[in-house]
Amino acid sequence: MFTIALKGIRQYFKDRTAVLLSLLLPIVLITIFALMYGGIGKSEKSRPITLLFTDQDNTELSKEVYSTLNEQSGIQLLTTNYDEASKLIKKGKNSAVLVLYKGFQDSVEAGNKIPMELFYDEAKEIEMGLMQQALWSNLFGITMKKGMKGKVNSWIREKNPDLDTTELLDIQAKIDEQFSDFEQSEDSETLEENSNLPMTAIVSEEKNGNLGLIQAIAGVAIMMLLFSVAGSGASLLKEKEDGTFRRLLVAPISPSSILYGKMLSTLFMAILQLTVMFLYSWLVLGLDIFINLPALLLMILVTAIACSSFGIFMASICKSRKQVESLSTLVILVISALGGSMMPLIFMPAIMQKLAVISVNYWAIEGFFDIFWRQLPLSEIYPKLIVLLGIGILFTTISVVSFKRNLLKMV
Amino acid sequence: MLVAKNLYKSYKEVHALNNVSLSVQEGELYGLLGPNGAGKTTTINILTSLLKPNSGEILYHGKSLFENLNQCKKMIGVVPQEIALYEELSAIENLKFWGTLYGIKGKQLQQKTEELLSFLGLSDRKNHKIKTYSGGMKRRINITAALLHDPKIVFMDEPTVGIDPQSRNLIFEVIQELHSRGLTMIYTTHYMEEAERLCDRIGIIDEGKIVAEGSLENLKKASTIKEEIHVKFTNAPKEDLLNINNSFPNQVLVQENQLVLSTSQANTDLPKLIQLCTNANLPLEHLQVKNLSLESIFLELTGKSLRD
Repeated sequence: MFTIALKGIRQYFKDRTAVLLSLLLPIVLITIFALMYGGIGKSEKSRPITLLFTDQDNTELSKEVYSTLNEQSGIQLLTTNYDEASKLIKKGKNSAVLVLYKGFQDSVEAGNKIPMELFYDEAKEIEMGLMQQALWSNLFGITMKKGMKGKVNSWIREKNPDLDTTELLDIQAKIDEQFSDFEQSEDSETLEENSNLPMTAIVSEEKNGNLGLIQAIAGVAIMMLLFSVAGSGASLLKEKEDGTFRRLLVAPISPSSILYGKMLSTLFMAILQLTVMFLYSWLVLGLDIFINLPALLLMILVTAIACSSFGIFMASICKSRKQVESLSTLVILVISALGGSMMPLIFMPAIMQKLAVISVNYWAIEGFFDIFWRQLPLSEIYPKLIVLLGIGILFTTISVVSFKRNLLKMV
Repeated sequence: MLVAKNLYKSYKEVHALNNVSLSVQEGELYGLLGPNGAGKTTTINILTSLLKPNSGEILYHGKSLFENLNQCKKMIGVVPQEIALYEELSAIENLKFWGTLYGIKGKQLQQKTEELLSFLGLSDRKNHKIKTYSGGMKRRINITAALLHDPKIVFMDEPTVGIDPQSRNLIFEVIQELHSRGLTMIYTTHYMEEAERLCDRIGIIDEGKIVAEGSLENLKKASTIKEEIHVKFTNAPKEDLLNINNSFPNQVLVQENQLVLSTSQANTDLPKLIQLCTNANLPLEHLQVKNLSLESIFLELTGKSLRD
């Protein structure tokens, strides 16, 4: 078994192009994915979203809205007329325009429906979603106070038609005083502040490292590893096609030791590939791999076991190298998409997130998140280690049975 | 050395081997001759433990193959039809790998590989990758890999397939040298001339049965045919040649513009043949009476050509 494993490792290192590709390709992909997920250069502040602003009312209140929104860090206002704004959105230069129509202040003060509208490009819905919260909480703060005063005044006038002007002005002054007290009170919080839910991050990038980088490394490393081990598994069928398998079978060794030898060399290559990935992430991308080294080493080992057994499993159920190559490509793409290698699971529908548990990628990615993001101790990570080891044992058992049923019959 | 008794093997309803028995003496070169699909490979696969027969017994030096598997496997060397080597490894790396599988290690392995590489004239290329070798060189390394553990018997499964005549002659020389050193070999081929040239005894297999067995001389003596009449025409339609075939009781091998008539009485069959050719206006180019060949014996026994 060890002789066969050593031969496999020697063959791997003899093919320098394959070695370079198996290590270089994942490194390039990790770097690209880390850039995509914002894992590199994350310390730079995000660019504010530009919102076009059309003020057709041009009153004190509309100017107050402009200055309040412009003070928001995530939004940069750009004043323009509606026609120009519309053209810019259609050309894809900007995402949206906020229009305050004529009569904006009067309507707010009268407590009527507020004449304002947001026009946007539907293709940029995600950007709009991010902007919406800041936009509405600020608009609500400004318009609601004025609107409530107007509503109260209108209600008093409507219910007390007999009041003379002096009495009305007196009541209005009292209402203004009450709202003014409310706004200036040190003990009370403003309506705007009251409407916000206080949020404190328990797990945050500041404390727990770079989320995008962890997603990129864990996701890509597993997916690329699966492709590598599928290739290694396919070499078992290449032996059959080349006739070396027949020669191995007539040698005084058990047929199972051929399979175990191949598994061992595949496992070695898998561990090597994952180790190189994490060393690169540490040296170049700044991932702190020493945060929980024993857990990381164990996770690398069980992930390598699970993935390499998958490669051998694919070889044992197929009848030719072409079959392995096409079937494993299909399966790897599906389980990688399901398991969160290509896209973080949070972006997927609930049903897909539930299905993710059938993928080896899911358990490995979650395990690496436990180590680097959640920074859990080994005692909390072990369920993922056990699942990955279980996947490895299951695939190995099926491979041994299929190997005897399929490969040995094909001699 | 090797005794196989009543081997029977079937795949569903196909009888691949039907009661095959053979024995090979120590130092003997035994040729297993038969057309494609005759059962040669199945026989070799069973004798080398790759397949289990449905019934029958195989003994190596009196020991049952499947009851003493690893012990018997160490006595066997196999030269497969394919180049069963790792192309990306060098010759020495390949040989050391195969040798290690048979338990040869260290200095013994080094010595053995060097000795065999020298014997096959490949010492100067030992560190080169197999993929840089010519077809003939690969074939020689393919043979070497089967000899590292000093097997008692070597199975050679059509080792000259797909190589140039020069390399083929070189391999013949290697086989003859190994034979002269007393190595027992079983050689499968569908080339008559190889079997005639190399083998001490020949077993003719067809449709899963050994139809004849013995030395070339014994096979010739046992045959009812004594001579062959080879006729070559400048231009002859195949139908006319087949009509001539129907005029003789013995099999006539018909090929393009030529035929070979196997006969036990050339003195009467030759004038008859010439007369038939004249009647059919077939222009003769060349005519020769030859001694009986294995090809004719095979045709007589099986009713078909080896290259069918």
